[in-house]
Amino acid sequence: MGNGKDEDYNFVFKVVLIGESGVGKTNLLSRFTRNEFSHDSRTTIGVEFSTRTVMLGTAAVKAQIWDTAGLERYRAITSAYYRGAVGALLVFDLTKHQTYAVVERWLKELYDHAEATIVVMLVGNKSDLSQAREVPTEEACMFAENNGLLFLETSALDSTNVELAFQTVLKEIFAKVSKQRQNSTLANAITLGSAEAGQDSGPGEKRACCINL
Amino acid sequence: MGKRKFQGMCASRPGQPPADLIRQREMKWVEMTSHWEKTMSRRYKKVKMQCRKGIPSALRARCWPLLCGAQMCQKNNPSTYQELAVAPGDPQWMETIGRDLHRQFPLHEMFVSPQGHGQRGLLQVLKAYTLYRPEQGYCQAQGPVAAVLLMHLPPEEAFWCLVQICEVYLPGYYGPHMEAVQLDAEVFMALLRRLLPRVHKHLQQVGVGPLLYLPEWFLCLFTRSLPFPTVLRIWDAFLSEGAKVLFRVGLTLMRLALGTVEQRTACPGLLETLGALRAIPPSQLQEETFMSQVHSVALSERDLQREVRIQLAHLPKSSPGPAPLPQARLPGAQAIFESQQLARVRESTKPEIPRIVVQPPEEPRPPRRKPQTRGKTFHGLLTRSRGPPIEGPSRSHRGSASFLDTRF
Repeated sequence: MGNGKDEDYNFVFKVVLIGESGVGKTNLLSRFTRNEFSHDSRTTIGVEFSTRTVMLGTAAVKAQIWDTAGLERYRAITSAYYRGAVGALLVFDLTKHQTYAVVERWLKELYDHAEATIVVMLVGNKSDLSQAREVPTEEACMFAENNGLLFLETSALDSTNVELAFQTVLKEIFAKVSKQRQNSTLANAITLGSAEAGQDSGPGEKRACCINL
Repeated sequence: MGKRKFQGMCASRPGQPPADLIRQREMKWVEMTSHWEKTMSRRYKKVKMQCRKGIPSALRARCWPLLCGAQMCQKNNPSTYQELAVAPGDPQWMETIGRDLHRQFPLHEMFVSPQGHGQRGLLQVLKAYTLYRPEQGYCQAQGPVAAVLLMHLPPEEAFWCLVQICEVYLPGYYGPHMEAVQLDAEVFMALLRRLLPRVHKHLQQVGVGPLLYLPEWFLCLFTRSLPFPTVLRIWDAFLSEGAKVLFRVGLTLMRLALGTVEQRTACPGLLETLGALRAIPPSQLQEETFMSQVHSVALSERDLQREVRIQLAHLPKSSPGPAPLPQARLPGAQAIFESQQLARVRESTKPEIPRIVVQPPEEPRPPRRKPQTRGKTFHGLLTRSRGPPIEGPSRSHRGSASFLDTRF
């Protein structure tokens, strides 16, 4: 579980799950943060979120994973959802080609609302239903490469690659952050509305901060 | 030594009124619903009060369709639902609806089996709506709303109640742009600023905007957020008094979650704050205590409409999608009743083809007395076309401006 206030963490990374309704975003969230899966999880109507703290090297990173409704009409009210996100998992259902066909639209939606430097992974979910596959791995992989996206196929049901997907995204974000910190003289850029914002952390001081890439 | 009130023969369940009180209320409702037109024309205040106290569960099936005007809709359109039920649905909507059927109330016994009448009823009702209003289509939040209706009503009645909720109580909520949700989110923030300023300030500081919590509350009429008995009480009041109830419930939840300094201090950030909204102890959400707080929130219909007008004016012109039409929203059962009466009168007094009549002129009629209107607000039919004027029910308190101002 990962949202205890007593935990020490150096970083908070906000990652959003996006993609068509029914592709498995909610179960990816529950699998990663609580190791749970349910065939009958409710339709996501508002905004759901969950956290988990992972170690990346010596740094403790609190992953703040957000999940929301995938249905088209919710776009109008979910733009606030993207604010401060440094990573995104763009999920499609590899047994339903239609959910893959709209990936470009989702990418556009993402770049319209989030930072241009956001780390994006294309995720083909439901790999356990291999008999029903409608999206060839190579096709999706190539699309990802052409668009600068990471790519993995996962199964929230049997856990395949779920851990790897999130860890990869978080590592990628962390690498960017570290590089930025090295390059820039302004450490600790602060996102809007972060309550952890404020003072500079001195060396060796463990203060949480929201990183805005 | 004080006298002890005799509680009645049956022990009441904790948090529930005693059984004989429930029985009394049942009798009242049976009486009121047997003469619904008379009740709504003259004794709406009593209806409102009884709805606030809670409709006895045995009678919701009878009362809800009357309150929301669904029964009248069904009467006026007797074959519509059957036609919609047999027509094939739009394949794209059918796929989306189908995917969600087992995900609405997955733990509720009625909706567990795909072949059960719960999921089947849900499919029928939601499909019917997409055929009835193809430009609106299907909104996922209609699922839990329809499900709660189906827990009480057969599909046809549930369908018309859903229509009323989507078109009359909350127009602009369930359509492709959900424009009214965005407006109401701004309205809610403005009300927070006025009524719970410290909570408002905290939310600003941690970056929690209303779109992070309000859509699920309002779109689903709190079915996802509160204990079920409380949800039903909210619905009783909502069907009676309209959207104002949703705002009152939202404000109450805000106060319960973040009303004290300690609570706000315990939520230094966005996630903790959102978490607090979801972690209100169930004892504080128990129907009697919760609803009495809801009904005492200092927000009148007039206050709400004024704030809606203000926020509508502030909406950026550049926002995509249609502008919300808050005036399309009817504030509850009485306004709906009047609007249906008005429609009925209009129907029955359609102009006929004029005939040429050769007759001697009529005797001049005595001048009509003007009705005494000073200081009164009228909400019913003001006058009949002949005879002495009838006064509508007068409001004992000011400030609930009726949406309709009918005058003949």
